[in-house]
Amino acid sequence: MKNLVRALRIEKGLAQGELGEAMGVSRQTINSIENERYTPSLPLALALARYFGVTVEEMFDDQG
Amino acid sequence: MTRVNCGRRGSGSRWLLPAGCVFFGCAVLLAGWLGHQLATGLIGLVVMAGFGLFIALAGRSETIRGLRGDGRDERFAQIDLRATAATGMVLIVAVIVAFLVEIARGHDGSPYTWLGALAGVAYVAAVAFLRWRG
Repeated sequence: MKNLVRALRIEKGLAQGELGEAMGVSRQTINSIENERYTPSLPLALALARYFGVTVEEMFDDQG
Repeated sequence: MTRVNCGRRGSGSRWLLPAGCVFFGCAVLLAGWLGHQLATGLIGLVVMAGFGLFIALAGRSETIRGLRGDGRDERFAQIDLRATAATGMVLIVAVIVAFLVEIARGHDGSPYTWLGALAGVAYVAAVAFLRWRG
């Protein structure tokens, strides 16, 4: 699923590992989400959106 | 920094798989000893303990940590679920093929008959239980 995770992470100056650490998931999981290979669970999507201060709809695009 | 936890397992389970390997190896040794096949039992123990040691001491790759259990998160749980399902499918197909070969050879299909039946019953029971649980 298309998403803004990479853009928001870079904007915040975070490495994938740091974001993964903050979310309680692995660096590889963040990488998979950014590369649209893995669709996160609802709790993780909500946590990511909350972390970056955006809505889930703004962060993930299921129509793209 | 805000910290949440989305399905990551604790590091306490790091030794679970290696310990399970050693335990299973000991069970193979015991079975071999009871069946007067001590050499087979010893080989089983060495192989299982070796695999357990490898898993315990291997590097920090995601696959190893996932197998070991200390690097799991929700994505790896999904990978584990799919891998388990794939393994089950391979086993069921192998049992069915073996059953058919046994029948074609003029045998009664044992033990593949009851292994196949067990797989079928287990699947239906699991579907019913999981559907009931929601």
